[in-house]
Amino acid sequence: MAEAFRRKGARYVGKFDQEEREVVVHLLSQVRELVTLDEAPATGDPIRDLLDGLGREPASPQEIAGRDPALRRLLPQASRDDDALAQDFRALAEHDIRRAKAANLAIAIHALSFEGGSRVELDQRQAQALMIAVGDVRLMLGERLELRTDEDAERLQEVFDEGTEHDGERRLLAAYYEFLTWMQESLALTLTA
Amino acid sequence: MAPPEHALPDVDPDLEADLRAGLDRPWVTIVWNDPVNLMSYVSWVFRTHFGYSDAKANQLMIAVHEEGRAVVSTGPREQMESDTEAMHTYGLWATLQKDD
Repeated sequence: MAEAFRRKGARYVGKFDQEEREVVVHLLSQVRELVTLDEAPATGDPIRDLLDGLGREPASPQEIAGRDPALRRLLPQASRDDDALAQDFRALAEHDIRRAKAANLAIAIHALSFEGGSRVELDQRQAQALMIAVGDVRLMLGERLELRTDEDAERLQEVFDEGTEHDGERRLLAAYYEFLTWMQESLALTLTA
Repeated sequence: MAPPEHALPDVDPDLEADLRAGLDRPWVTIVWNDPVNLMSYVSWVFRTHFGYSDAKANQLMIAVHEEGRAVVSTGPREQMESDTEAMHTYGLWATLQKDD
């Protein structure tokens, strides 16, 4: 049975058994796959790699429209009424945002990937990375569960508590979502205290 | 006829006012409410990224939650692009625009 994160000196300690950790790592890996671009692998030649990076084409509006809705939420439009501004921002920032998210997800995955036992002990950097990464997973699941309003999110909890949700897959996603909400909240409160 | 030595330049005063307003008018970063991000987390992001006090971070978080959006920073466009990028990295839905 999982135990929320608590502060112990400079460390953040919680309990998550192997199965719970595996589920979280699996979901973190899904988001990492979503945000990671299919890029030509680094050649090891720094000049060549730099030039490859510079020649990258910014995402076209057609490509963005065809994206997985979860990815569209993870990399949202930076303007709601000015497409040119949103496009400029994407050309400028999207690659860096993807890279920052992937790096953060990698820290979180690494922190939870160990065999046996249930004690998860993190330093501050890992605790922050896990909190942010779990937030990205919740955004992905929220999109799959079509949570659009605060009321949708509240209803999800009710539907789940009453056991009236019959769709197996949706029920499972909702269970993951609720578990990660609890986990992220415990990290946010502990990091704030 | 040569113009007087100290004539004022012939600039349309309206145009000049518009230009000045365009230059002086700052940009803003706006964070929008969403059903997923937790209130405790959003406050943490505002404190951590902007260095806001607990009180200011909470006040902005409540404004996002209750009013649906809040201006979280103001300044030159480049700075707002950088703030928007940071908010997206944290998973918050931010937009930028010229202040109106």
